[in-house]
Amino acid sequence: MSTAPPAVPDDPADALAAVGALRRLADRVEDAAVARAVAEGWSWAQIAEALGVTRQAVHKKHARGLAAANQKTGGL
Amino acid sequence: MAFERFTRDARAIVRAASQEEAQTQGTGTVQAEHLLLALSAHATLQHLDLDHDRIEQALIQEEERSLASVGIASGDFDGPMASAAPRRTRLATSAKLALQRALVTAQRHQDRRIETHHLLLGVLAADHGRVPRALEIAGIDLDELRARL
Repeated sequence: MSTAPPAVPDDPADALAAVGALRRLADRVEDAAVARAVAEGWSWAQIAEALGVTRQAVHKKHARGLAAANQKTGGL
Repeated sequence: MAFERFTRDARAIVRAASQEEAQTQGTGTVQAEHLLLALSAHATLQHLDLDHDRIEQALIQEEERSLASVGIASGDFDGPMASAAPRRTRLATSAKLALQRALVTAQRHQDRRIETHHLLLGVLAADHGRVPRALEIAGIDLDELRARL
């Protein structure tokens, strides 16, 4: 059975809510991906290049949370 | 934001929204729905029977429905929930709007201080966004709730 890709919901409120939900999902994926990369020894510069953002942006967003998580678990 | 006019309880709610609700969800971005969750758990508003867990479940349902509407089944991403590690927090636009509306509400009531019920009215004033969508899912009647405040 071929399924057509879903269209944008007809109701703008639903369509805009979907954008918000996707952004939150993307943030979760990003958190997990960055944590994995750091654990495997990637530098902030490498992670930033892979994400297509500046090193400062990725550091600002993730450094503090990762440091706290590491402290809690005694390393990843 | 003029926090000096907030009562001790109202400040505690903004703090709980940031340090408990947003943080638990693994985000440093405080949204209006985090204020709503903090308000629902606060002692000064217990007479309203706003069930914190019910609202939390409704927010999860809202997210699942929204993702489903663009073809993503919830659970497609099996990664860990974002870590609840402390991080930089900031008030998102939806939260700032709610606080501004609380301020306006207090002024309209000619109350000098911004109290917890003003905060709730500020959060409930949103026509769009996750708060009204989740309340609808939770079966909470907005007009009836506002009338009791």
